[in-house]
Amino acid sequence: MVASDSPTPRRRNRKTALTALSAALVMLGLGYASVPLYRMFCQATGYGGTTQRVDEAQAATVKDSGRTISIRFDANVERNMPWQFKPLQRTDTVSIGARDMALFWAKNTSGKTVTGTASFNVEPEQAARYFNKIQCFCFTEQTLKPGEEVRMPVLYYIDPAILDDPDNKDVQQITLSYTFHVTSTQDNSGGDAKTLDRTQAGG
Amino acid sequence: MATTADHFQAHSEEHGHHDHEHKPAFFARWFMSTNHKDIGTMYLIFAIIAGIVGGAFSGMMRVELAHPGIQYLDTFARWFGAVNPDFNTTLHTWNVLITAHGLIMVFFMVMPAMIGGFGNWFVPLMIGAPDMAFPRMNNISFWMTVAGFFSLLCSAFVPGGTGNGAGTGWTVYAPLSTSGSPGPAVDFGIFALHLAGAGSIMGAINFITTILNMRAPGMTLHKMPLFVWSMLVTAFLLLLSLPVLAAAVTMLLTDRNFGTTFFDASGGGDPILYQHLFWFFGHPEVYIMILPGFGMISQIVSTFSKKPVFGYLGMAYAMVAIGVVGFIVWAHHMYATGLSVNTKMYFTAATMVIAVPTGIKIFSWVATMWGGSVEFKSPMVWALGFIFLFTVGGVTGVVLANGGVDDVMHDTYYVVAHFHYVLSLGAVTALFAGFYYWFPKMSGKMHSEFLAHVHFVIFFIGVNMIFFPMHFLGLQGMPRRYPDYAEAYEYWNHIATIGYMVMATSLVVWFINIIYAYAAGKKAEDNYWGEGATTLEWTLSSPPPFHQFETLPVIGETAHH
Amino acid sequence: MTFGKISHGLGQTIGAFGLSAAAALTAVVPAFAQEAPASTPVAAATAAAGSYTPMKPVEGIGMPIDGAYGLQTQFSKTGEYGEWIHNIILMPIITAICVLVLILLVIIAVRFNRRANPVASKTSHNTILEVVWTLVPVLILIGIAVPSIDLIAKQYKPAPEGALTIKVTGNQWFWTYGYPDNGDFEVISNMLNVPGAPTINNGVREVGSKPWDGPSHLEVDNRMVVPVGEPIRLQITAADVIHSFAVPSLWFKLDAVPGRINEKVLVVEKPGVYYGQCSELCGAKHGYMPIAVEALPRDKYNAWVLTHAGAQIDTGKKKPAAAAAVPAPAADASEAAPAADATAEAE
Repeated sequence: MVASDSPTPRRRNRKTALTALSAALVMLGLGYASVPLYRMFCQATGYGGTTQRVDEAQAATVKDSGRTISIRFDANVERNMPWQFKPLQRTDTVSIGARDMALFWAKNTSGKTVTGTASFNVEPEQAARYFNKIQCFCFTEQTLKPGEEVRMPVLYYIDPAILDDPDNKDVQQITLSYTFHVTSTQDNSGGDAKTLDRTQAGG
Repeated sequence: MATTADHFQAHSEEHGHHDHEHKPAFFARWFMSTNHKDIGTMYLIFAIIAGIVGGAFSGMMRVELAHPGIQYLDTFARWFGAVNPDFNTTLHTWNVLITAHGLIMVFFMVMPAMIGGFGNWFVPLMIGAPDMAFPRMNNISFWMTVAGFFSLLCSAFVPGGTGNGAGTGWTVYAPLSTSGSPGPAVDFGIFALHLAGAGSIMGAINFITTILNMRAPGMTLHKMPLFVWSMLVTAFLLLLSLPVLAAAVTMLLTDRNFGTTFFDASGGGDPILYQHLFWFFGHPEVYIMILPGFGMISQIVSTFSKKPVFGYLGMAYAMVAIGVVGFIVWAHHMYATGLSVNTKMYFTAATMVIAVPTGIKIFSWVATMWGGSVEFKSPMVWALGFIFLFTVGGVTGVVLANGGVDDVMHDTYYVVAHFHYVLSLGAVTALFAGFYYWFPKMSGKMHSEFLAHVHFVIFFIGVNMIFFPMHFLGLQGMPRRYPDYAEAYEYWNHIATIGYMVMATSLVVWFINIIYAYAAGKKAEDNYWGEGATTLEWTLSSPPPFHQFETLPVIGETAHH
Repeated sequence: MTFGKISHGLGQTIGAFGLSAAAALTAVVPAFAQEAPASTPVAAATAAAGSYTPMKPVEGIGMPIDGAYGLQTQFSKTGEYGEWIHNIILMPIITAICVLVLILLVIIAVRFNRRANPVASKTSHNTILEVVWTLVPVLILIGIAVPSIDLIAKQYKPAPEGALTIKVTGNQWFWTYGYPDNGDFEVISNMLNVPGAPTINNGVREVGSKPWDGPSHLEVDNRMVVPVGEPIRLQITAADVIHSFAVPSLWFKLDAVPGRINEKVLVVEKPGVYYGQCSELCGAKHGYMPIAVEALPRDKYNAWVLTHAGAQIDTGKKKPAAAAAVPAPAADASEAAPAADATAEAE
């Protein structure tokens, strides 16, 4: 049984190795693809407390259910963010299905113009897929000049489908939390801002 | 086992001619080696060296933890190049030690020894192949692993934030590893992972090709020795999990250096996603470290019971099942990150499933010995130790699988105890079992059975003294990765440190045994373990010829069934 | 290691267990009996309406015990349930499995060694046996999974609407506790320095310098004070890297992740001080940012709240939640118009 010097095994080895290599490359690709895939998964399912983003037309189709739920608002800044950031109402009782507005307040306490973006999530996270934002300051970057303060709205409603979800039957209060991060800082002298290409997840 | 020796004994007699003993000169033989046995030997020597370094780091950790307060870290900080270290630098050195210990033991000790060492040496011998499918790629794999190790060592001497070295833990969680660790140390660490990972992926491709294509005529997959089965499953796990780690740490690298925000909340990224990716690799990784050990234990238990392995197919497919299920349980490492209730329930249930194939393996080993004529030679004693210690480590895994119970266990010493029972006491015990089983075959010299038994007894006492008390510390709430602790944790920590010294003594016995074997050991026969050893490597001389199986052995119809 | 030390350790352990049992029986009383008398430096310093003296912790309660080998005594409902699952279900099962394997190995060593059994059997199959050792573990695991899944469900039951909310923020390397329902004041909590050791937090006193100080490495300058016996909505985040808020005796551990909040309910059943430590590697001083939770009855909690500037008593469950809303920050209090200054992008 001498098979080692025939060309067939060598070709077979190469084929096996290339198949294995392509499997590894597919996994490598999936590793990178996981970033957008995870984002899409969170946006679709509310996983990780990701809220839903809807337009006016979609929002217009929702009917007030007549039942209410309590909403809590929470605001944070990351360590190097020189802003004060607070909700203007800690809690609010809203009709499920009716749109409501919450206001947040931010003030730039530094001597520089600072642009920030807000990350956000909802707790308990099973409620996130029913938390619909029509307008939000978190959809875009916000820029505050030195000492400038601003009030920022969130227009939202709770999808009445939450009333039929057994996972949410114990949920009596939903918290909407924001954290502001520095996107870029600009000296008042008008120096060039270091702006990073950041895509905002969710809605 | 899977094949019976008598069928190809005749063929091995034909190996009388001399050209397969032609060896290249020293530099070409050891630096440009394409011989699977030489590369295997280099992997084993490398693993021993890396193990000494990683073990020294754990010794530094244990002396520091002998008592509350900071005793020696200041000195250690100076060793890593700090001049008059302040308190943060001193404490940073602790994080460097835990990080380096973890990475070295996982990537540069257990994996090179199991896969690179015993895998390279014995997979071709056991399947009757002349060498690995891609000998030159085999060489590249080895040297990439070595380069990775040096990159990791370099990282300890360059700035990594509050002090020299990467202090992120072996898990390299963002954002501590990105915005939390300025300086090149973490980049060196990531580069080390890239090199070791690329080397391992090439090794995996090599093993898969070798095992699938180069088995001797007649050796079907269902006749392969279980060690080869374990290597095949391991290679697939490496192939499918390591690229995910490579992607994750590359994204860390760009987050650190090029302003991307894959794992940074400020740009819409999510640090939790890094943990998902890391553990998608990390959980298969723990099976990568233990499955070859399963394979070795199966060979050893069968050899010294003089019985074929009980339930061969069940054993093989239990490993396949562990490999497959290992890919869908990763988030049990993340119960405390704020997973949703349904996610936590799913991962609790899925994780428990792994106990079933693992139980099949334990009981099949016991059944293999049952009714056997068991000889307690040194590899068998180590294998028995493995079976018991792995059982202890396995059952605490069932405890930790419970998402609700993990709330009090997560990141405590209970977890440290658990994974050291399956790795330090499981994988390392399996490595020693394999070492004593195959050392005479590899070297041609018999070790001292007496010293091997002494080594086992001292090691067994030592490691249990180190790690059993850690369960108690964990239940009492002591968090891991702490250089200093409340006085109420002193008692068991002190015992663990004494246990470390006992364990270290056993390693001295091991080194003496190796020296003894080369200095005064008897010449090893072809099959020095006798009738129970039935796989193909026992048909060759000890050490085997430089090139073996130029005429392929033919495996007869006599199967293990 | 001598036998003397071992027996000493065991004695200590047994003694400590006895102590914890006694403390559990007499409940609230010992904790308050040991409370320091009238001197109230904290209250005096803040010169507010309330008065508060930190509670002296009970030895062995809410903290580790040297040489002990079990879980810390639990002071929450989920903790008691989890402890029951661990001690009554998991421990006997895993011990039995280990003992079974050990017995089998001993039998093999005695009956099937080379001298006792010179000729090995050739049995390598027994279908019934293989089915049994597959199915029996499955049944055992189902038996474990039922209470285990139930425990997870109970842990994740969301807080009721009127529950007091406390905001926990992890920082390198200290914790801050925000009380949004009590006037939005914030407590900064640093570990106390250890005498004879390098200074960990500048300007913070040494442990043992006040009569109510607990163990070193665990005691802090300002504890997280909570009302006892009522659900508390803990919302946890971090300002820099990931930390983890963990208190073993309250069966609580939840990561503090920058950029998002995590939420879980905490109910402390008995007044007392419960210690924990940061449980996710967060940099150099990871080991020096402990957690001290002081649970007080409602009236004492309210008194503690009032020691803070601008504090107010939360309305709790009695009034509708809307009324519990905190007024806007001082800077904006005068402006009544709810219109937004910023333009939000509509979709």
